[in-house]
Amino acid sequence: MIWLRSDLPLSKDRINYFLPWLVAFMVFLLVMALAFIFVLNATASKWDRGVRGSLTVQIISTDDKVEDEKRLRNVLTLLATSPEVKRYEVMEDGRLIRLLEPWIGEGISNQELPLPNLVDVELKSSSDFNAQKLLKRLSLKDNGIAVDDHQVWLTHLVRLIETIEVVALLVLILILFATIGTIVFTTRTALAIHRDTIEVLHLIGAQDTYIARQFARRALGLGLSGGIIGISLAIPTLWMLWQLTHSLDEYLLPDISFGLFHWLLLAILPFGVSVISMLTAKITVMRALERTL
Amino acid sequence: MKSEQESPIVEFKNVGLRYGLGPEVLQDVTFSLAPGSFHFLLGQSGAGKSSLLKLIYLALRPSRGLISLFGNDIATTPRDKLPAVRRRVGVVFQEYRLLNHLSSFDNVALPLRVAGVRKNEIEKYVTELMSWVGLKDHMRARPPTLSGGQQQRVAIARAVISRPRLLLADEPTGNVDDAMAFRLVHLFEELNKLGTTIVIATHNKVLVDRLGHGSLSLANGILTTSAAKAVLTSKEKSEGNEGLKKDGLKKSEIPPFTTRKGDSDKKLEPDSGQPENA
Repeated sequence: MIWLRSDLPLSKDRINYFLPWLVAFMVFLLVMALAFIFVLNATASKWDRGVRGSLTVQIISTDDKVEDEKRLRNVLTLLATSPEVKRYEVMEDGRLIRLLEPWIGEGISNQELPLPNLVDVELKSSSDFNAQKLLKRLSLKDNGIAVDDHQVWLTHLVRLIETIEVVALLVLILILFATIGTIVFTTRTALAIHRDTIEVLHLIGAQDTYIARQFARRALGLGLSGGIIGISLAIPTLWMLWQLTHSLDEYLLPDISFGLFHWLLLAILPFGVSVISMLTAKITVMRALERTL
Repeated sequence: MKSEQESPIVEFKNVGLRYGLGPEVLQDVTFSLAPGSFHFLLGQSGAGKSSLLKLIYLALRPSRGLISLFGNDIATTPRDKLPAVRRRVGVVFQEYRLLNHLSSFDNVALPLRVAGVRKNEIEKYVTELMSWVGLKDHMRARPPTLSGGQQQRVAIARAVISRPRLLLADEPTGNVDDAMAFRLVHLFEELNKLGTTIVIATHNKVLVDRLGHGSLSLANGILTTSAAKAVLTSKEKSEGNEGLKKDGLKKSEIPPFTTRKGDSDKKLEPDSGQPENA
């Protein structure tokens, strides 16, 4: 810890051995909670970006293959002539079967199962064209067509993620309050331990700010030590999690690769906690001394 | 309206003090101390001497009555102005109340540090004063390693380092032999000649009789005598250092701060600067 001259023997308090580790633990939790919020945010954006502006046109199959082909061509012609459509692609039967395999098992052919024709449509980003408008246009030609814009399930997912984000944010605030509470408690303990010295300082004319500054400096030092330990433990943990997610299917797990802004935010967290510790200690001392003569 | 020089340094009017719900330990205490006066505060143990001194150095608030220090009514003085008042009062506590984790140098330097005096000046003044009280070789020693007499000298040095306008000493001669007691009182007399008002609480009646200063006597919390006559005339005050020479004192016997050059009162005036942090 940085050595600074102090009239109060604060550096000898036993609390000094315990507080940095407590702050380290809090900073570790804060970094993890903040990283979790970043991940959720990135995941929500990724899903949103992936699905927004995309539609799936479903042409329900009939027993007449020729008729089904004709209906598909009609749809494709309409899509090709729609200026709002950026790209469209008919999903192959093989891909459809692969997607259904988890539910219907392997070894099923399209001959055994009547599969609808699916067309994956990507709309132009500037377009306000949506599923309802496309469906209306398509329905003029064919009633056996459905258009799914994924909005319903996307809204549920995003809402779920937002709820988890709020919970994570609450956890983050709780950790912050717990840190502040710990600093208040330890500062009050130190005030009680050094009551006689503080009284002598007061009697020889020390201002409250003079005394509070010594506590604040101590809290800053301890907070900084704890913060550095905490971030030193949190960064390797995040790196391990990042390695883990990269070894798994990227569609199953969210991406936790952060940008520079995110890393900067995580890096300044220990310093932020130190400053909060310092201000907390100062305010605690000032408020306690206000009650003395 | 009286100027600060003319108004009493300390003024008590019908002051009463009780601890909690207990009986009054001081009752209707009324007196005033003129600038530059020298008083002994006499009384048996439990008479209320320490309580009276605590009221003067603002460690306690009275239960009733009015206390005025340097013309400031303490009851109406804002709390943030009290440190400035306290810096004009030097106190030699009965149990010295030295900070054991600090060296004797740092203990003596404390009043200057809280007043925001510059580091190089602190170094100079404290070193001079420590030499004068015979503790130059013990400047880095911590109080627990010093003898009782040495600790007392550190406590006195701390009380006088910032040249207070009022010096209070609670039984400063209680733990020393008569020779040391007279030497200490001699130091207080030298400070008094410079204009510092002195109040010494003591049991030592011999000392009081031999020196013949005014005295305040307390008995069961009641001030029985108020013979605050030992007010220096302005002529005597102006003769401060001259007086020392007339007394035939050797240079080494003159407190160092009496001869400080370019060290105006203003420099050590409360709130004259921000306290040093380093």
